[in-house]
Amino acid sequence: MNLFQRALKNKQLVVGSVLGLVVLALGAFGPLIFGAYDTQDLLLGHKPVGTPGFPFGTDALGRDLAARATYGIRISLFVAVSVTAIAVVLGTTIGLIAGYVKGAVDTVTSWIVDFVWGFPLILVAVLAAASIGSGLVPVILAVGLVNTVAIARVVRGEVLGISEREFVVAAKAGGYSSVRIVFRHIVPNVIPVALVLSSYYVAVSIIAEASLSFVGLGAQPPLPSLGQMVSDGRNFIRLNHWEATIPGAVIFVMVLSVSLIGDGLRDLLDPRLRTAVERASAT
Amino acid sequence: MSTVVKRVLLTLLLLQLSSLAVFAAIRLSGGDVTAARLPASATAEDRELFREQIGLNQPILTQYVDYLGKVVRGDLGNSLTNNAKISTLAVEKIRNSLILGGAAIVLVFGIGIPLGMLAAFRRNTWLDTSISSAAVAGMAIPNFWLALLVVWLFSSTLGWFPPAGAGGFKYLVLPALVLAAEGIALTVRMTRSAMLENVGQDFVRTLRAAGLSESRVYFKHVLRNSLLPIISLAGLRVGQIIGYALVVETIFGWPGVGQILVNGVLRRDYPIVQFFSLLLVIVVTLGNLAASVGYTLANPRLRK
Amino acid sequence: MTTPLLEVSDLSVGLRAGGVAYDIVRNVSLTVDQNEILAIVGESGCGKSLTALSILQLHASPPLQITGGSVVYGGSDLVRKTKKEMRGIRGSEIAMIFQDPMSALDPMFTIGSVLVSAVRAHQDVSKDVAEKIALEALADAGIEDPRRRFAEYPFQLSGGVSQRAMIALALVNSPKLIIADEPTTALDVTVQAQILDRLRALKNERGMSIMLITHNLGVVASVADRMAVMYAGEVVEMGAVSDVFAKPQHPYTTGLLGAVPRLGAGASDLVPIPGRVPQPDELPAGCTFADRCSRVVDSCRATRPDITVRGRVQVRCFNPVS
Repeated sequence: MNLFQRALKNKQLVVGSVLGLVVLALGAFGPLIFGAYDTQDLLLGHKPVGTPGFPFGTDALGRDLAARATYGIRISLFVAVSVTAIAVVLGTTIGLIAGYVKGAVDTVTSWIVDFVWGFPLILVAVLAAASIGSGLVPVILAVGLVNTVAIARVVRGEVLGISEREFVVAAKAGGYSSVRIVFRHIVPNVIPVALVLSSYYVAVSIIAEASLSFVGLGAQPPLPSLGQMVSDGRNFIRLNHWEATIPGAVIFVMVLSVSLIGDGLRDLLDPRLRTAVERASAT
Repeated sequence: MSTVVKRVLLTLLLLQLSSLAVFAAIRLSGGDVTAARLPASATAEDRELFREQIGLNQPILTQYVDYLGKVVRGDLGNSLTNNAKISTLAVEKIRNSLILGGAAIVLVFGIGIPLGMLAAFRRNTWLDTSISSAAVAGMAIPNFWLALLVVWLFSSTLGWFPPAGAGGFKYLVLPALVLAAEGIALTVRMTRSAMLENVGQDFVRTLRAAGLSESRVYFKHVLRNSLLPIISLAGLRVGQIIGYALVVETIFGWPGVGQILVNGVLRRDYPIVQFFSLLLVIVVTLGNLAASVGYTLANPRLRK
Repeated sequence: MTTPLLEVSDLSVGLRAGGVAYDIVRNVSLTVDQNEILAIVGESGCGKSLTALSILQLHASPPLQITGGSVVYGGSDLVRKTKKEMRGIRGSEIAMIFQDPMSALDPMFTIGSVLVSAVRAHQDVSKDVAEKIALEALADAGIEDPRRRFAEYPFQLSGGVSQRAMIALALVNSPKLIIADEPTTALDVTVQAQILDRLRALKNERGMSIMLITHNLGVVASVADRMAVMYAGEVVEMGAVSDVFAKPQHPYTTGLLGAVPRLGAGASDLVPIPGRVPQPDELPAGCTFADRCSRVVDSCRATRPDITVRGRVQVRCFNPVS
């Protein structure tokens, strides 16, 4: 069975991908279909789901929840996915260098990485907001820093492990250049690990952005962050609960999709886990 | 043991540096402070005077040393919002946060471990599927949204628990559950997979071949191999719970460190922000240190 | 002739899972007498380990299960025993030693605590008495400083000492039979010899029996009294070691013996057997060895031969080497 066929048989991966595609489509096309997210009309406030012209209803100010929620997906994905993507590249590079060069570079990097590593993303984001003021920028910085460090930590460990293995030792003994060894032998072995991990970090980042926006330290009005929409809507939970439940459900589905993809990829790509599973079913 | 000592010293050094960094960052954003605290009509002299009053015009290192000196003497300054003494506030907030955080930690392990074991013992049954799916959902649900849903159900609709505030046990239940939710889900998953992995180990067959009872093999040997790594990482849980507490305390109006810090940032009450962020940095660092030392002590191979 | 200590008759063990059903061990019959060492020899994957595990019902069940036959020990059939009854037999009547001592010992517990647990699983004694028994077993297994090893963790022991600790664990309740599954495979050659010497000495000192699973004919020749050769899940030849080595009758046994390098023999004396072992889910209708056999006749492909007595040994072959 090739990789693609195995992927299709992996329930978590399939469900996660389908959910992810739905969310992506909503984020891509929603704002185009539903129009501006900040058109206010107080006469149209607190409309429930299914109101003509407002499939998700409206909020207290009469703004279209469909337009706001789909735009909110864009903000959420921008912060979580694109920033984590940059963090993966940075973290992998740092981890590769520290793990391969070793010596003083590795020692100092490891000190810093180990120190920052255990800090929860939300706390770092709040500290960043405390330092430079509220908004999406501190959230982006926090997501970038924490995820870079987390990826670097794991990649370094993997590189140290792989460097001990026969094929790398053999390549070194054969006189190949460090660059060639790193890119031909080490990087391909590290990428699956970084990929699986990054999906978990995207999930945590989505939650962190939403949480910060919920308490008022993240995206500032009128930007429609999903967390902030839940916060706005919670005062009207008895009047029109959709204002809080819809944006919350969107966040939930996004995070669920990313974590399912992560679980699926882990089973699919990590050869050690796969052989462990096969061994367990064979004996 | 020298590795542990080295680790402790290194952590203290990095703690010092990072507290300086947090301190400096908050002080350097002081320009915002005058805008936030003084009326728009304030003149440049008024602003300068205000900065001088709160010591913002000194070199940053002097301010830091000054501040540490005051902290040691128990003088934490006053809140800019209501002029309350921070040292008095701190005692109350820390106590409340310890109650909430302690309850959450108890729930994380008290619910997470038994559920994870149950899922492992009943592997591939409907029970396992339900527990495992709930755990996946539990990790994906944002806790502020979960908070909203449980308040809607248990307070607004059923009226079992108060929706917010602090007081007796009744006030603790909902925030503690919401704060623990993600940790419970994670612990369930870790416990389940560790149990299943260890059940397949060769040593299990050896012990069964020696005639040990199944319950002894599972509840003593497999369990210890599975749980020690999980429990020894409890320090890391402390850090995560502090992160979530910032949000959960704010939602439930729980008068703890998280709530006062978030409100402090929102109101630019920087003496408050200063002290409580330093406090959390220290606590998280110590938690991580405890996790790393605990993990070492839990493993006989690393202990020697 | 006295009754054998253990009598395995027509034992089959198979995989039963989600529409898959085939036997991996097929119609195995063998006996272990009092105070003898029976070697079961064969290539990896021939079912020798599974045979051994299924005697104590330690095979992974599900998906594996005993699909036929009996295992008679002490007058009763172990296959029909309840889980609780089997637990009483494991370790106290029949004990087992495994291949890789490093992974076969629980890394979180000291050697001593595991031994004490094992003693108290079968004997109603105080902790102090159990400790005394455990220390004696360590000494009997040939460990030089039992008190020190008692308090140590598996990772602190060398391979040889770990395997001795495993032997001590097997001895601790004085079983009548020890099943040793490749006990020396993971060890250095010099340590291998010491462990084998110890096992043979234990057999003589304690009058116990040993079922020794191995792929190494050198080991068989040096310690075993009788041997059973297994191929593709079946016993193909069984008899006294001296008889089988002197005059092997099954073509597979001759091939196996031909493949053992001997000192002084030239390279041409090594005769590899052509072809490969059939997988348990694709067995032929006739003899499992037919495709690789140089003495194959028509009936070999049509019907599966039974194991029959020929002279002093038993052989499963239509056209044995005579």
